[in-house]
Amino acid sequence: MTRQRVLEIAGLAVAAAALVAFPALDVPAFYVSFLYMVFFWIAMATSWTILSGFAGYWSFGHAAFFGAGLYTSATLATKFGVPFLLTLPLAAGVAALLGSGIGFVVFRVQRLRGELFALLTISVTFVIAAIISNTAIDGGAGVNLMNVHLPEVFGSPTGTIYLLGLAMAALSLWAAWRIFRSRLGLGLLAIHDDEDVAEVKGVPTFRYKLAAFALSAGIAGAAGGVHAIYVGYVTVGETFEITVTMYPVVMSILGGARHWLGPALGATIVTGALYGFASGPEASLGRAGIALGLIVVVLLLPGGVMPGLIRLRHALRRAPDRVAPAPGLAAVPKQCPAQGATPVVALDCRGICKTFGGVQALKDVDLAVLEGEILGLVGPNGSGKSTLINVVTGHHRLDRGTIALAGARIDALPAHGIARLGIARTYQIPRPFNRLSVLDNVALAARFGPLARGRADAYAEAAHWLGYTGIARRADALPGQLNLHERKFLELARALAARPRILLLDEVLSGLNHTEIDAALDLIRDIRAGGTTIVFVEHLMRAVVALSDRVAVLNDGAVIAIGTPHETMREAEVVKVYLGKAHAS
Amino acid sequence: MRIDLRMQSRRLVFAVLVCLTGLWPDGAVAQQASGKPIRIGQTLSLTGPLGQTGLTHKIVSEIFVEQLNQKGGLLGRPVEYVLLDDQSKADVARTLYERLITSDRVDLILGPYGTGAILASMGVAQRYHKIFIQNTLGIAEQATYEWHFAASLGGAEPQNTLPVKLFEAYGSTAHPPKTIAIVTSKFPSAQYMAQGTREVAKRVGVEPVLYLEYDFGTRDYGAIAARVKDTNADLLWVGALGVEGNQLLEALEKLGYKPPRHFYLYPSSGPLAVLPAADGALSLTSFEDGLPYTANPVSAEFARLFAERAAKAGLPYAHADSQAGNEYAGWQILTAAVTATKSLDDKALAEWLDKNEVETVLGKRDFGGKWHNSRTDYQQLRQVQDGRWVAVWPPEKATPGARLIAP
Amino acid sequence: MPHLTLLEQALISGILAGGLYGLLALGLSLSWGLLRLVNLGHFAMALLAAYLTWYLGTAFAIAPWWAGVAIVVAFFVYGVALHWVFMRFRVTEMGSMLITFGIAVIVESTIQTIWTADFRRYETALAGASFVVGALYVPMLNLAAFVVAALLAVLTWAWLRFATIGKALRACAEDAPIATAFGINHRALSFLLSGICAAYAGIAGVFIALIATLAPSEIWTWIGVVFAVVIIGRLGNPIGALAGGILIGVCEAMTMAVADPAWAPLVSFSLLIALLLFRPRWI
Repeated sequence: MTRQRVLEIAGLAVAAAALVAFPALDVPAFYVSFLYMVFFWIAMATSWTILSGFAGYWSFGHAAFFGAGLYTSATLATKFGVPFLLTLPLAAGVAALLGSGIGFVVFRVQRLRGELFALLTISVTFVIAAIISNTAIDGGAGVNLMNVHLPEVFGSPTGTIYLLGLAMAALSLWAAWRIFRSRLGLGLLAIHDDEDVAEVKGVPTFRYKLAAFALSAGIAGAAGGVHAIYVGYVTVGETFEITVTMYPVVMSILGGARHWLGPALGATIVTGALYGFASGPEASLGRAGIALGLIVVVLLLPGGVMPGLIRLRHALRRAPDRVAPAPGLAAVPKQCPAQGATPVVALDCRGICKTFGGVQALKDVDLAVLEGEILGLVGPNGSGKSTLINVVTGHHRLDRGTIALAGARIDALPAHGIARLGIARTYQIPRPFNRLSVLDNVALAARFGPLARGRADAYAEAAHWLGYTGIARRADALPGQLNLHERKFLELARALAARPRILLLDEVLSGLNHTEIDAALDLIRDIRAGGTTIVFVEHLMRAVVALSDRVAVLNDGAVIAIGTPHETMREAEVVKVYLGKAHAS
Repeated sequence: MRIDLRMQSRRLVFAVLVCLTGLWPDGAVAQQASGKPIRIGQTLSLTGPLGQTGLTHKIVSEIFVEQLNQKGGLLGRPVEYVLLDDQSKADVARTLYERLITSDRVDLILGPYGTGAILASMGVAQRYHKIFIQNTLGIAEQATYEWHFAASLGGAEPQNTLPVKLFEAYGSTAHPPKTIAIVTSKFPSAQYMAQGTREVAKRVGVEPVLYLEYDFGTRDYGAIAARVKDTNADLLWVGALGVEGNQLLEALEKLGYKPPRHFYLYPSSGPLAVLPAADGALSLTSFEDGLPYTANPVSAEFARLFAERAAKAGLPYAHADSQAGNEYAGWQILTAAVTATKSLDDKALAEWLDKNEVETVLGKRDFGGKWHNSRTDYQQLRQVQDGRWVAVWPPEKATPGARLIAP
Repeated sequence: MPHLTLLEQALISGILAGGLYGLLALGLSLSWGLLRLVNLGHFAMALLAAYLTWYLGTAFAIAPWWAGVAIVVAFFVYGVALHWVFMRFRVTEMGSMLITFGIAVIVESTIQTIWTADFRRYETALAGASFVVGALYVPMLNLAAFVVAALLAVLTWAWLRFATIGKALRACAEDAPIATAFGINHRALSFLLSGICAAYAGIAGVFIALIATLAPSEIWTWIGVVFAVVIIGRLGNPIGALAGGILIGVCEAMTMAVADPAWAPLVSFSLLIALLLFRPRWI
């Protein structure tokens, strides 16, 4: 393993040295420039992927950030005499600032996802282009950089530009690789699949999206800065052209937009093909040929070339390495000891009110959950059970009232902050991250949970809980390949992997058969035995009575009774509400 | 021996690149036979938004090279024309000129079409010390390369000389315009000329009552037309490229308005000539398919061949115009210098051109203006009359029997 | 201050330009919204239809409406075939963008190879004709395009809203498995819809031929603005597509009427950004 690692690093170093020294070889400068173009598109496509491929926020306006950087460099170098190399960090900075500025405003508007985000980026491109075109920045005449001085490496500006391009491509690939393997990357992929769930599982979605946007825009801006001197004469029309926006999208998807190396692969293929068919008569038909090739590749390799290659490698090497549970895991200390003599309040809700468009879902709810207990939460449909879970986990803001965890207020915290303090939940209808493997789904919860596990620990933790819930053999599957039963247990494993102090279970039993229910009940008891406080919402009375230490009954957004199961279920009001409703349905 | 090694390393690098990218550059395998052809390289906008004009230039270049080879080539060697497609993009043009010079190793280059591509590729020419003859640059003052030569006739200050000429021409008519409406594309050269025209107009006492810039690629001209109609200036000056002039005129026609006098900067000749609403439209020219341009046999033969090839290529307007004439003149200038100096050395060619004049289809060409533009603006004004372009100004260069028609 | 006639005239041309945007947006919006396929080839097909209309008209003297009928039939078949490919290879939303981008490039090359890169104009007697209402002029062909766009938008909307088959389509878009469980044949419906979307591209193309000058690269000039229109109008909403087109068209025209036309994109798209940020529920 280490030997292989050494070989890998040595190989990388040799490749890097060869690339750096390439212009010094006696090769026609065209190849140097051609490789620059490949680097340029690698940077652009990778930049697009960091925001759009990873986080799923589709930018149809990368020309805006590219253009912002390009004109920053062009303006500073020509009008203010700033040395060109100095303009590049500024170009990246201006573009990153633009990106994060937009992100700062946009990511606060919940609805601006998917195609609306795409629309926003299209609009920003038009606006930026119009501003540059109609002001002194360009004014319509274009900016000529022919007389801008550039330090010469390898005896020509071409060599310098090549190295700048190489640096840009290498930096963006390095960034993409680091992100891909880090918490940030996992968080972004989760945001792509289900942003709300990601937040509730502890992913600081706003910050992550902002970081991805700033980085993506910054890379595009730096690429623009270098490209300004490469072209030598820049105009608004060509800078904000549709292909500048389209190509990174095409390249990324072709290569594989959910892998860090995919866009670079796509960029190399497309750029090579474009310059391979530049000769006169067949130029136009050649491009049709490339397009046909593109279609065939997409049809045969739906996820892109990179995932296709990875599948091929796996097929050649037979089964991939499985993550084995770490031996010492069972010894991880539980957060709280078994129940003591005096009950301690773990979660304290006081006077909670929540209104949705005139409908009061929660009316002055007071509820104290005791440390180490199992609290059953029952009530007819629409009584506010799910809303209660949603406000406790921070998914919905409170209108009034307070929530405290072990005495500390949490109601003003964002959902991911609450998750990190140790509150986890499951969803009634499982909401796994559909494009992450079962193992990744669970590992994500461990990485972003209160213990904030490192990469290796998180996978060990995940493997442990998959084994615990009995779905370990499906670790490499995608959630879509699981049956309902397995998806329910995936929900549970994902909540448990966070090692929560308080676990909120939302109808985990619905849809399961008798034996499955019995198994689940045992599991829940076992979890409590580990020291976790459990609040569970359930319709199935048998389970409520069998499992709960106490039961709280909700009706019409208010708690109408609370106590031991037997006492509570006999109260007149409860009988009326509960059985009445049950009879009615 | 040393040369062999270098060749080998080059082949190796080349093979690696081919493997990496599937790229196969033309002519990388050197030709070794005797009578080795002289290779002349150029990129043109064969595809993309400037594709129409690129096509015209391509036809002209092919005609010229064919004629040249029929007459025994250049310096007794055949000429090979290496044409690449720059997709109407400056960065692609720039990369491909580097390919022509360093990889395809052409002996000489000619400039591309379009302001962006010309300026971007001129930088490459400068870096490799290649003589750079271009024929369509609108912003003369941007061409600051010492071996740059302009084949076109606009002089070094077209933004001043053109409007002066235009007002002079109208000044000779019964009712010279007193107001002008200027509407221009934000294409760099067009906008540059429009701004110059506005200044000159003020100077000669023609009031600019409307000055509008629209984006290159504007899709709907209805609202702009409404403003032009609303202003009803004596002269409508349009900084139009391609068919933008047609689009504005059609929009004006739909509003029931016909400008009393109108001028179009760089229109696509054919579509404007055949548009009924364009009758009386003025434009610039330095070559047309007809007298007086075709008075000498070289020009006449060129015009005839162009008409033939254009019709064969399926072009709707199969007549040579300024675009075609300029390109032809570029080739004439380059080959004249080669023939005179018996050399392919860029420095020798540039020095010779600096001191001499060349006979072209556009007339006698000098490079006495700044940055090797023509000494002064020799261009003519042409007018659409009965669906054909005729030269109308200055009178001594007008098409026989034609004169400027104005209200 | 520009006077009223100018503003009114600009308003008219804005609305009519919006009609053309809407006509182009219609098919794109339906396939994106109801089939979750992003068809970048839509513009290319529209331009191909325009070239066919022009070619049939000038080379064979076939009237535009007959050409239109032939094109609609042929394009419907193309749409069905395209969808067969999408279904056969289980193409995703992302993949569909790439494939249709490829189709657009192929169509552009084909057009250029057959008809050259030079401009083509379909000269018709109606080209410059207008209805005159007081001091205002309403261009006939642009009005026809607008009326057709409006008719198609309303009919499609009504079809989706009231006809059983239309409702079934919407149900499939919202949740295909459940719709299938209710016995709706998702496959057959999606073929129908894909055919209709392609046919709409054909209809838009006929009007582009009548109104505009054609060049192969025109394919790319519409993408940005029409994409914006499609999204403003909400995906899969035919009336919305037309309304979005009118919104952008009028914004652009009014800016052109009172300020420098080059500022037009700034005004309309700033407005759009403001709308997205402050009134996202409108969109």
